[in-house]
Amino acid sequence: MNKMPTANGYFGIYGGKFVPETLVNALGELEKAYNAFRKDRAMRIELKSFLSHYAGRPTPLYYAANLSHKCGIEIFLKREDLLHTGAHKLNNTLGQGLLARFMGKKRLIAETGAGQHGVATATVAALLGMKCTVYMGNVDMKRQAPNVARMRLLGAEVVPVESGSGTLKDAINAALRDWVKNVRHTHYCIGSVVGPHPFPMIVRNFQSIIGKEARSQMYTQVGKNPDFVVGCVGGGSNAVGIFSAFLRLPKTKLIGVEAGGFGTKPGQHSARFAMGRRGILHGCITYVLQNKDCQILPVHSISAGLDYPAVGPEHAFFHDEQIVEYVRCSDSEALRGCLALSKFEGIIPALESSHAVGYVLSNRKRFKGCVVLVNLSGRGDKDMDIIAREAKL
Amino acid sequence: MKGYNGLYLMGNYPTPKVFIDAARLGMEYFDFLEIGIPFSDPIADGPVIERAAMKVIADGHRVADIFKSIEKISCPSSKKIYVMTYANHIFARGNGTFARMMKSAGTSGIILPDVPSAESDRFKKEFAPFGIELIHFITPENTYEQIESIASSASGFLYCISIRGITGSRFSLESEMRKKIAHAKKFSRVPVVLGFGIRDGVTAAIALRVADGFIVGTRAIEILETGGVGKLSQFFEELAKHCM
Repeated sequence: MNKMPTANGYFGIYGGKFVPETLVNALGELEKAYNAFRKDRAMRIELKSFLSHYAGRPTPLYYAANLSHKCGIEIFLKREDLLHTGAHKLNNTLGQGLLARFMGKKRLIAETGAGQHGVATATVAALLGMKCTVYMGNVDMKRQAPNVARMRLLGAEVVPVESGSGTLKDAINAALRDWVKNVRHTHYCIGSVVGPHPFPMIVRNFQSIIGKEARSQMYTQVGKNPDFVVGCVGGGSNAVGIFSAFLRLPKTKLIGVEAGGFGTKPGQHSARFAMGRRGILHGCITYVLQNKDCQILPVHSISAGLDYPAVGPEHAFFHDEQIVEYVRCSDSEALRGCLALSKFEGIIPALESSHAVGYVLSNRKRFKGCVVLVNLSGRGDKDMDIIAREAKL
Repeated sequence: MKGYNGLYLMGNYPTPKVFIDAARLGMEYFDFLEIGIPFSDPIADGPVIERAAMKVIADGHRVADIFKSIEKISCPSSKKIYVMTYANHIFARGNGTFARMMKSAGTSGIILPDVPSAESDRFKKEFAPFGIELIHFITPENTYEQIESIASSASGFLYCISIRGITGSRFSLESEMRKKIAHAKKFSRVPVVLGFGIRDGVTAAIALRVADGFIVGTRAIEILETGGVGKLSQFFEELAKHCM
């Protein structure tokens, strides 16, 4: 059982509940309801049943033989891309959707960057017969147009957010404002291990199924733990999900891959650990990309799901405690990872997940002869426009 | 004007000169000013104040520049200037840096809409050595027990957020909230001031009937945008007429 966070919602010095007073009791009620939910046998059975029969769990652990032979690395892929709706996001939204219903809430709201979490929330709202509003930056709506149509097809209202940079952080601002207004009957289904306590804990726990399955699959298929576990880190839910089963193992090293973008200047990357410092954004203390005057900086990544100026507070804790090593993968390295996996394995990964693949392939000397488990958190269908343009297909 | 009332202005908006003029004018009508220090991600603010904040940042005004303007308002000893901003400005600077800036600009308290009472200790500790008050909030979501504890330890004034919503929302006052305000007044040693949604003489007068005062913000920013300090002066006159 994971002892973190503390009762006040802290992972070491990170986390907390920095939200308007109006939301404090709602967060308290959410935590109480979540604790009752996880002890409720009927709810556990229902969630498990949806995860298997609706979402398609367990997802396979696939030995990427072609790529492995080419690189001299034993590469295993945890195939979250095969989950219903195309990414790991559904693990969390199924959990939170059932939790919202358990609490008697009739409406779900969500923020989305790449659109994957928005689609996963809209899917669960359709499944459970709830109303759904998704906030999405107008810049993201343009670059992830197919996901906008998917959400609308599923019956969700998609609200463009034009303030700020028109990306994920602005969508979170808008969702928080909606929640302050409608807190009585609305559940904010946050999409990553970010935001105020208890969200980082709840989302982690719903995503920890990735790690649990992967660890037992590794035992069955290889008979040992991997030498490395690699996941991309935007907010950080897929990475925390897979890392959670491999924490503090002496022979397994955990690597979180941030979006290195195309340069090191502000607005060219989303490398919070490399270039950020401690701050408070969206309800928690964590590493934040900000300027000297403490204003949040614009961020960039080729993948809409990784360009976020903050990171989950548990990752900030893992970083300081050196439990996880955080590295960067550039736009072009990620694209090369995407192309290699497509060409040699017939798997088109999401550009987010391509950062994990790209980092391993760009640093193959480091991984030579090792067993490397990569969390393939999503599939690339939604990114086809960008991939086609960048790879000149 | 009757009551203990405040005016919200965004620091250096729309320009430093207009801001200072508006603030000096405000001092003639109001008991305190609430000056916004812009933050890039203002989650408690509606579109009007957010847009103002974005313009100040885009125009290149740094936090230190805004404090320089605040110094120029010259606050009479009978009145107060409060700063309204978000937690990151204080936390990320650390070491009392922000409190020191506030103190030397002559401000006396701080309003942090993303710091609820449960997280307020570290900020109180940071501001106390400089004699700067951290303003407490009550909202429609607070229970009577919470209101009792928040109100009895309030200093400066008690900020009553009358609605579930953000700045610039429509005014409303549920009967339950009226009871909660009455409860707060019983336990608070400082004025209970109602904010969020006060737009004109009528809403201000309603606020004065249930609370000790009101804060007007979004509407003042809108008027300043379209009619400058001249129109703002007319607006203050209208408020004063309704709140005699």
